[in-house]
Amino acid sequence: MADGLPDRDISRGTKWLLLVSSLVVIAIMVGEARSNLSAEWRRHQKEYHKLLLAKALDEANKETARSFNIALQQVVVPELGVTDRCVSCHTGIDNPHMADEKQPYRLHPGTFLKDHPVSRFGCAICHRGQGAAVNNADAKAVHAYWDYPMLPGKMVQASCGQCHDPKAMKGRGGDILARGARLFESSGCRACHKLGGRGGALGIALDDEGRRIIHQLPLTELKGEHTVWNWLAEHFRDPRGVVPTSQMRNPTLTEPEIEALTTYILSLSKLTIPEDYITPDKYEQKYEALRPGRPNGAELYRQFCFSCHESGTYSRWDKISGRFIPAIRGKALAASPAGYLRRNIELGRDGTQMPGWRKSGGGLSNSEIGALEAYIRGGVKPVEMTASAQGRGNAGRGRALFAQNCRGCHGSGGKGGVAPALGSATFLSVASDAFILSTIKNGRPDTAMPAFQRAGTAGLTDVELTDLLAYIRSMK
Amino acid sequence: MEKPALTQFIDNLKSVPDAARRAFLKNGLPESERERSQMSFHNFFLHMQSVRTHKHSLRWTYTLGLGIIATAALIILTATGVLLMVYYKPSTELAYYSMKDINYVVFGGRIVRNVHRWAAHLMVVAALLHMARVFYTGSYRRPREVNWLIGLGLLVMTLALSFTGYILPWDQLGYWAATIGANIAQSPREVTDAFGITHAVDVGGLGKQMLLGASFVGEDALLRFYVLHCVVLPGLLMTLLGLHFWRIRKDGGLSRPESVDKPGAPDYKPVQPGIFKPGTEKTYGLMALVKGSKPTVGTAPENTVMSWPHLMYAEAAVFALTMAITLVLGYFLNAPLKEIANPMVPENPAKAPWYFLGLQELVSYSAFMGGIGIPTITLVSLALIPFLDRKGSDVGIWFGGAAGKKVFWQSVLFGAMVTVGMLALTITQGWLRTWIPNIPQLVITVVNPGTVLVGLYAWWSLSNIKRHNSIRMGAVAMFTVFLVGFILLTYVAAIHRGPNWHFYWLHSQWPPH
Amino acid sequence: MSDKKNENGISRREFLTKGALGSFLVAMGGATVGGFALPKPTVSPGPSRRYKLGDPGKFPVGTAMKMDKENIFLFRDVEGFYAITAVCTHLGCIVVRVDDGFACPCHGSRFAPDGHVVEGPAPRGLLWLEVSRTPDGGVMVDADVEVDLGTKLVV
Repeated sequence: MADGLPDRDISRGTKWLLLVSSLVVIAIMVGEARSNLSAEWRRHQKEYHKLLLAKALDEANKETARSFNIALQQVVVPELGVTDRCVSCHTGIDNPHMADEKQPYRLHPGTFLKDHPVSRFGCAICHRGQGAAVNNADAKAVHAYWDYPMLPGKMVQASCGQCHDPKAMKGRGGDILARGARLFESSGCRACHKLGGRGGALGIALDDEGRRIIHQLPLTELKGEHTVWNWLAEHFRDPRGVVPTSQMRNPTLTEPEIEALTTYILSLSKLTIPEDYITPDKYEQKYEALRPGRPNGAELYRQFCFSCHESGTYSRWDKISGRFIPAIRGKALAASPAGYLRRNIELGRDGTQMPGWRKSGGGLSNSEIGALEAYIRGGVKPVEMTASAQGRGNAGRGRALFAQNCRGCHGSGGKGGVAPALGSATFLSVASDAFILSTIKNGRPDTAMPAFQRAGTAGLTDVELTDLLAYIRSMK
Repeated sequence: MEKPALTQFIDNLKSVPDAARRAFLKNGLPESERERSQMSFHNFFLHMQSVRTHKHSLRWTYTLGLGIIATAALIILTATGVLLMVYYKPSTELAYYSMKDINYVVFGGRIVRNVHRWAAHLMVVAALLHMARVFYTGSYRRPREVNWLIGLGLLVMTLALSFTGYILPWDQLGYWAATIGANIAQSPREVTDAFGITHAVDVGGLGKQMLLGASFVGEDALLRFYVLHCVVLPGLLMTLLGLHFWRIRKDGGLSRPESVDKPGAPDYKPVQPGIFKPGTEKTYGLMALVKGSKPTVGTAPENTVMSWPHLMYAEAAVFALTMAITLVLGYFLNAPLKEIANPMVPENPAKAPWYFLGLQELVSYSAFMGGIGIPTITLVSLALIPFLDRKGSDVGIWFGGAAGKKVFWQSVLFGAMVTVGMLALTITQGWLRTWIPNIPQLVITVVNPGTVLVGLYAWWSLSNIKRHNSIRMGAVAMFTVFLVGFILLTYVAAIHRGPNWHFYWLHSQWPPH
Repeated sequence: MSDKKNENGISRREFLTKGALGSFLVAMGGATVGGFALPKPTVSPGPSRRYKLGDPGKFPVGTAMKMDKENIFLFRDVEGFYAITAVCTHLGCIVVRVDDGFACPCHGSRFAPDGHVVEGPAPRGLLWLEVSRTPDGGVMVDADVEVDLGTKLVV
């Protein structure tokens, strides 16, 4: 051979490797090109084209059908940050001739697209899912790496809440959402959860709850599908079944109510929507929140108090929080001295789960707190407290008495136990001497607080009461 | 007789195609030995290779084609990388969605991205194995010390490129890997804190700031990683690679055993007479006349073949093979793309790319030692090898012969036992802090499973030097135990570490999430 | 052995060499072509250039308006709707309406009211764009579809 080598081709193995590898490269490239050219959306558009041709009866429609061009379609709405390619497969979404076709060629049901043209809204803004995807599985995105999978069935109503007042959606295609919004107020959710700055602080604020993603939720105990909506529904069925440490009361809802409430929670979003898209009813909702009408005490009680105090006419042992929740209506607190009840509502009770409801706390206005107080009193006049201290008591003796009689419930040093903390600054500033003395003496009707100066009880003397008072006053 | 200029002009115009062909291809494809050597010599892209290649260098069992695979992967990465840059938008708002566009609508975008990912993995593997090959054949010895160091630099560049590319999709995977990486950069604080001098000398904080441009992974960090990944690191890598190739020629081509060029060696074939005619003709020999002891002057052309076409075939074949591997992988296996980066939802477990998982396992003992201390020790040790192990006649022989092979297997066994033992101890019993809760951090930084392992490895290496009375054996022992340790730690971190870095035998035992 | 020629007169070695080199070149060529196919956008980014204008009743006969963002002139006369692009066919500047048609401020091209060139370097008249009806009865201009000069949508 030319290089003076023996007759064997020393590059023979190398050439085989070159040949085989090159053929593999060619095969894969051809395969990839083919799969690009036979993409799911192309198949659907070809099918749609056939449908168009079959349905075209007059010449004009035939012409349109013939000129149908197979190409990737997308809706881009920069204001909303939308790039949705759903229309690449759902080609007939706004074609009335496609009303009876099967998916994905079918016309969008209802009259939604009349008010929400695809070109202005896209698809994912309502349906969620991955608008950029061009295949069904990735677009629905339930098991894809995508934060907001497509909402199932009627839950898509949740999206109305972005631009509409949920309550105003009743009879306008958003019945479930509207029902959820009403349930939210009537189920007492706000006793623990803030929404729009109004509500308790025991639970998390819900303003952006609808935008939660599945990885933010504890899933260890969740039964069924790992989706946000299933989590929410399961959580409404049995809060502690999903989050064992949850303090939430079981809301006892029917299944349709659970669906409605889940839909409403999914609608809660802090996503900024451009002004053009916000509807008048949404503005009205916001206006009402700023300029509330005459407060209704009963309604406020239902929203903010009922979850813990229930009807408020009896004390009850609460298993979840491990303490007594006192009666606050009827004889129990309604008859407390003037100012005491109101200040308790405004400031809450340290050492208990009772939050303060004033503007900077639970978000209620003065007039609302007034209405609430009036509702709780139910017309019962505040008592004039007459009991007075018998001179200055001896705090040392008081301490011993406290240990014997009170510590069991009120905790050592008045830190609170099953009963409220007496050492709390709020309590000490709000409760008058007369009120404290009178309470020890007579107890609190409908609560676990017994009378300590009545026949058949501990029978503390007035001096002892004064000593106790001195001790309580000495607690800080 | 001169033609009129206008006729000449028209004639020339007619013969432009021929003249152009001559200008570019000289005399067409080479036919003779001389034309073949000129092909190599006159072509800018080919002239970095010598005109003749030693047959030993073409042996698959010697080179395993690893260097060329790494280079081929780099070429593929450059090509696919440029294509990806056409669509990629380096901003936190757009990066993730541009990845989605590449996957869904760009023609061939999916496979180009996948190939980029797989070629990156392949390049890391090939570079590591190439280093192992060079080490085990003793090819770092004089005169190749400098090229060994350049090779180490290339390895670091390769890893850095891979890591900086990891964050660019701006998904959960990359975001949290980058967060971990940035905090490793900050880990010298572990030491400065222990001495209470962080407020004065905050090396770690500076490192993190330089990397991220902020105290968190955000817009600035993304842009920095982008610039590093697309401009700075490729530039450095290409420069070093040029040097690497140039030095191969300067150092006399690939290493090979001395025996193969000695008359009487089994493979020895004398030059066939009559190829090189005496006379004025230039020969390849002069073309390859360079300073140094090893160029083919003197000993050649025994056992050499023309680079054109034999080396060309080999290189083309390995390149095609690399392309085939990456394309097959890219066709069937999608590169991961998780949810968009979300600073509120940490990945659990947040794992680094696989080649850093060994380090991540070490980092779980001490961020500074695992992330900076031990890697530095390893790199410095590797860099010192050619200067510590200087003499020997076993260059070009795998493991330096039978004794070395034995040391290799003993070291595999020792490395595996020590590493698995230390892992088992740490996983079942915990470490110092489990036993002495208030132990100062500095003690853990200095004494942790990672440093203890390094100590054991060092002891093993020294004891081998003593036992065999050979520095080379010590080097083989050390390299092997480090390699085994790297592989085992990577394996455990990749397969057996689950949420909260707990140990799990199976992925299916992970708590649901 | 490997040098033996088969019936076609090609040795096996030569066949392997040619096959290997040939397939390698095809593979590399394919990869290059494929690589060049990638930068060609599959779908035009940005919002759709099909502008839905809604009810035709909004545009009385005699309408001659410029859709500023879209750079399209929309007209309605007794014969129907038509749309002319405002993008000069010379080098893409935006023409302005003048008394006797359109004028381009960049290089002095002038166009008649129906868009044909009357002066300057523009190689052809301003493009007429397709005006069509949407399924819901509205009017739509498609900035990507050119129609013959004089094509009007009869409403």
